[in-house]
Amino acid sequence: MIEVKSVQKSYGSGESRFLVLKGISLKVNTGDFVVILGASGSGKSTLLNIMSGLESPDQGAVLYDETDITKLSDSERTKFRKDNIGFIFQQYYLLPNMTVEKNVKMGADLAKNTDYKTMLEAVGLGEKMKKYPSELSGGEQQRVSVARALAKKPRVLFLDEPTGALDEQTGRQVLDYICKLHKEYGFTIVMVTHNQNIAEMAGMVIRMNSGNISEIYTNSVTKNAYEIGW
Amino acid sequence: MVIAVVVGIKDAAKLTGIFIIVCCAVLVCTLFLNFNIDIAGIRDEITSQQVMLFYEAQVSTAKVVSSLCGGCLLITSVIMLIFYIKHYVDTHKKELGILKAIGYSGGKIAVNFWVFGSSVFLGALAGFAGAWMMMSAFYEVQNEDKILPAMSPHFHPILFLSLVILPAVLFGIISIFYSFLKLKAPVLRLLKESWQIPTGKEKHREKREEKGGERPFLDELKRSTLRDKKTLVFFIIFASFCFASMTQMSFSMDELASAMMGIMIMLIGIVLACTTLFLAITTVINGNKKTIAMMRVFGYSQKQCCQALLGGYRPMGYIGFAIGTIYQYVILKVAVYVIFKDIEGMPEYGFDFKAMLIALAAFLVIYETVMYLYSEKLKKISIKEVMLE
Ligand SMILES: Nc1ncnc2c1ncn2[C@@H]1O[C@H](COP(=O)(O)OP(=O)(O)OP(=O)(O)O)[C@@H](O)[C@H]1O
Ligand SMILES: [Mg+2]
Repeated sequence: MIEVKSVQKSYGSGESRFLVLKGISLKVNTGDFVVILGASGSGKSTLLNIMSGLESPDQGAVLYDETDITKLSDSERTKFRKDNIGFIFQQYYLLPNMTVEKNVKMGADLAKNTDYKTMLEAVGLGEKMKKYPSELSGGEQQRVSVARALAKKPRVLFLDEPTGALDEQTGRQVLDYICKLHKEYGFTIVMVTHNQNIAEMAGMVIRMNSGNISEIYTNSVTKNAYEIGW
Repeated sequence: MVIAVVVGIKDAAKLTGIFIIVCCAVLVCTLFLNFNIDIAGIRDEITSQQVMLFYEAQVSTAKVVSSLCGGCLLITSVIMLIFYIKHYVDTHKKELGILKAIGYSGGKIAVNFWVFGSSVFLGALAGFAGAWMMMSAFYEVQNEDKILPAMSPHFHPILFLSLVILPAVLFGIISIFYSFLKLKAPVLRLLKESWQIPTGKEKHREKREEKGGERPFLDELKRSTLRDKKTLVFFIIFASFCFASMTQMSFSMDELASAMMGIMIMLIGIVLACTTLFLAITTVINGNKKTIAMMRVFGYSQKQCCQALLGGYRPMGYIGFAIGTIYQYVILKVAVYVIFKDIEGMPEYGFDFKAMLIALAAFLVIYETVMYLYSEKLKKISIKEVMLE
């Protein structure tokens, strides 16, 4: 279980100090699929980065079971990410000078996972292992980053607008792969998105409004990537 | 506005590197060349046989020192600058692409690279002025015993032209031209972070390597970093080469030339060597910044990242150092032989082992310190910042 306890975060100092997160608290159960919605600038990415241990909050705690990751040192947090966390970003961030296969291997090696090629096949890229990122389409690149994140067998997968740069069809396809793998491996998903419709896929939806949580609700029935509107 | 995009504030700091290099090179060259020209002018005033001998010795020394030091410095700084400009333009491809995509013409963007020319100009001007500030003291020391007829420094416009104006214009043109060539590429190619995809031959080699068994990702990364960032590899080798040859040459020069000359050359050699090395190391780290950030997101430790991405350059540095050491020995040996061969009491020049050790120690310390400090600094930058760049 992940527990966020009254997290505050501000940027800048003095006059220009700006409170981005104004005391966020929430709980995510293991294996959940959580979507965070909210207007641009409402602090979604900041929350995601704090939950995943990329940034530290000014106040508050982020508990993974018993461990408070905000109390860890930088290198301990890195180790924590290594053992627990997977990331998928809007801009893919693949290593441009390495082949698709080796990009995935970067994730796989961390978990001593030698079976990473099945992951590439699972996202439908078995044929493109030897290609370089610049030779792939946006959707294909995002699928590589899905495979890379999952090859490290994370306990929690964080996604920041994974479909933000994709068209409807490729967007659905990527989400579908993520969903299927979620069912198969049972990791927790926390996804930030602009797209209201994607919320229908999630068990739990968090709506943010200028640094506060304005609404949390659960869906008893969830849809798959091809049933939702776009 | 365009210029702000092309050369950001951060890069302005990097231009100081160019400034220092040019300043040092021009200072030494101005001093020696001016002396050489002036000393040639007093030849007719010499009457006695003995003075003539002294005169010739002086001329030879000045020649060795100025041709070796000046020549070396000049060549080094020219290569360094050209390389630096190339690297700069290459890493700013994306910004150039954006400007071009908006609709600025290639020529209009390229022209902004005159800033390189202007920083060369400022550096050269400073070096030239600095040389003139110490010119009369330098002349006096050279003729301490008053054996030669009195000499006073004369201003030679040709030197100003060829050491200040010409390099500035040349480097301005080179940078404009190079960026213009780059800008000829289609916008998409500029925008995309395209890497040279290995050619058929290299792909073949990769396949063969793979048959030998699979390597861990970190090993793989180390190899591909060196393979793909050849410019950076060259940069490090060259900088270490310069460091080794310049420091050791200045140590040895101490015995060949007058004390003042020796100290001056040594100081300048060290400043220059450190600047180049610093420039090279920071460039290498910056070139690998993004990958390091991404790997840290995934949970690779800073140490692992640095070892895989930066560790590969270390042996290259030592190779450069070794080549530089041999190079400076050979060139000094040959030069001393050629120039002093007709003169009695030719100075003996042997390999200076002590100087080598000192230079090596200094190299080690500087290399590791800069590497360490800079990668520590990298740690403090948030991952978000690095990624956005
Ligand atoms: N490093 C920073 N320094 C200063 N302000 C920042 C920084 N990072 C984010 N902010 C500010 O924090 C606020 C929230 O940013 P955040 O990225 O979390 O928004 P978001 O909800 O993810 O928006 P979007 O949907 O556009 O991605 C914004 O107003 C932004 O200006
Ligand atoms: Mg965001």
